[in-house]
Amino acid sequence: MMNLAQQLQEQAKKLLEEKKVDLVIGFGQGTELARNTPVFIDSPEGVSALTWGPFCANNLAKYLSDYNNAPGGTAVVVKGCDARSVNRLLDDNQILREKVVVIGVPCPGQLEWQKVSAEIKPGSTLKEVVDNGDSYTVKTDSGDYSFSKKDYLLHRCLVCENPNPVISDITIGKELPVKNYEERFAEVQDLEKLAVNEKSAYWDKQFTRCLRCYACRNVCSVCTCEVCVFDQMMPMWVSKRTNLSENTAFHITRAFHVAGRCVDCGECDRVCPMDIPLRKLNVKIHKDLGDLFNSPTPGTEPGLISPLGGFSPGDPEEFM
Amino acid sequence: MESRVVNKGQISELLDKLAKDYNLFAPVKDETMTLFRRVSGAQDVLLDYNNSDISPKGCFLPQNEKTFSYMYTGDSLEINKPEGAQKTVLFGARPCDIKAVLTFDPVFEGVKFGDEYYSSKRENSIIIGLSCTKVLSTCFCYAMGGGPCDITGSDLLLTEIGDKYYVEVITEKGQALVDAYSQIFAKQDTAQLAKDKDELAKKLSGEFVRKVDLTGVKELMDNNFELPYWSGDDQKKCISCGICTYVCPTCHCFDIFDYTTGDFTGDRIRCWDSCMYPEYTLEAGGHNPRPTRKERIRNRFMHKIKYHLDRYNMVGCVGCGRCVIKCPVNIDITKIINDLKEVAQNA
Repeated sequence: MMNLAQQLQEQAKKLLEEKKVDLVIGFGQGTELARNTPVFIDSPEGVSALTWGPFCANNLAKYLSDYNNAPGGTAVVVKGCDARSVNRLLDDNQILREKVVVIGVPCPGQLEWQKVSAEIKPGSTLKEVVDNGDSYTVKTDSGDYSFSKKDYLLHRCLVCENPNPVISDITIGKELPVKNYEERFAEVQDLEKLAVNEKSAYWDKQFTRCLRCYACRNVCSVCTCEVCVFDQMMPMWVSKRTNLSENTAFHITRAFHVAGRCVDCGECDRVCPMDIPLRKLNVKIHKDLGDLFNSPTPGTEPGLISPLGGFSPGDPEEFM
Repeated sequence: MESRVVNKGQISELLDKLAKDYNLFAPVKDETMTLFRRVSGAQDVLLDYNNSDISPKGCFLPQNEKTFSYMYTGDSLEINKPEGAQKTVLFGARPCDIKAVLTFDPVFEGVKFGDEYYSSKRENSIIIGLSCTKVLSTCFCYAMGGGPCDITGSDLLLTEIGDKYYVEVITEKGQALVDAYSQIFAKQDTAQLAKDKDELAKKLSGEFVRKVDLTGVKELMDNNFELPYWSGDDQKKCISCGICTYVCPTCHCFDIFDYTTGDFTGDRIRCWDSCMYPEYTLEAGGHNPRPTRKERIRNRFMHKIKYHLDRYNMVGCVGCGRCVIKCPVNIDITKIINDLKEVAQNA
């Protein structure tokens, strides 16, 4: 039986050979054993670079809008969370359905590469990764290493809502059960319990560290503005100077701008070089959207109207 | 110059004294991060670390720096410059990051342009380096002419050996410091410690797993500005964030702007900028000479492996590995160097 990577390669090859797409965006081996990297394959001979495993953290749907104006179609490899991005991009008219082929892979969780890397002998070569349910065994030429999912998965994966892609033209692998999704608000609930000044102190501490590298914004699949307000010089809404006030203005504006559109892929949180727990801001907004508007996570189904992006004459206007 | 010994038990005393007599910058733990911060004493300092998440370059080139404040009152313009830098000690920096400071020197203290803000900090600073005790899988200082126990750029270099720090006095500034705190920097026979340090350096130099070789790469770049290589996956996957440049100990680009309160009073600020941002080269008329990620990526890596060499005869990378670790999409300078070397060989 073929492993998932081989199945992926075969499907990608077929799509390219039959000219259904000109490009396949997938994951390839990165420069660290426990790291994969986006690869862009434009010929059937190139598909051997495609891989799959628990080191595929990136949300590749982000790249789809780069190829809107390409003459041919684009295929993209997505996990469950990334598939929500595809729905969201379609709803925002950022991509054309007929130009995109979604290759969905049910995902049993992505590992934090640095934590894994720290345990493996430097310079080792990856042979195979085995999913044991509650843990992964990473087999290398320097021996086998075991990583419990509880301790080594990205936090977003521990409370995953959609291990199975919510939109998919070609699905590779078996459907997986949803686990621990009910615990998704635990962290936020802990924060909610704090007094206002304690919450403020918590976020002040986080935002003070911000370098304003804008990785959180740039990696975000629903950040699609052609010119971002933070890049405008005239007027300069937020100064280039970093300080708590400017940094807070950036983060709060960013969180609100994606409210109702954020698909909770957790990429902002993963890429932050200063470990600012950005996902907590978004999850709090998701919780409120659920509580106030009974709204599901954006992107979980196509055509969802965001509570903050829709208009209904029947809306109550309690605040007026 | 000479060498001395500090017992580990006395490091706290030393740090407390330095914090009293100088502005002391040292590595500290901030939640999950290791960062260089100004400290008030030994209690906050973390010396058991691999490499800080952000380099200590901010000691010499802060992310935000007021260059002067101004006030226009209708008939007069008043300019107030900040005072010169205070006496500072940068303690516990790794050899790669110290070597990186040397790459700043010709930029800010060059023949053509002197930068008083930088010079003032540099002149008033003493750098106490700390040899590495571990090599990470992302480290490649050896390939950039450095090493885990390299003395280059330090005024003093401390190397942890058992329950002692072996102290190499490298400059006159360093000499003055050990003489001023001679009760801590003990004069002892250091022959054995020197031998131990050499052995440590030798052991660590065998632990690098990244094979990086710059030979022939600059020569390829000299003659090939346009290479199909730059249109490859790296420019496709780059998300144009500023991580690589902000965590880089040798990146030193800055922007200057006025921060006004609406009237004619304000501050002129300079702050870090990043050549990875599309706005970086955007001209007033709307033209952008580096319009896509291809040109921007090429510029960043050419700066490291060619332009800095052309201008100052120094490689613009010290092999700290931070950009390799932090890049969200795994753009890796060591891979780029090796790929270019291959291109050069097949050309």
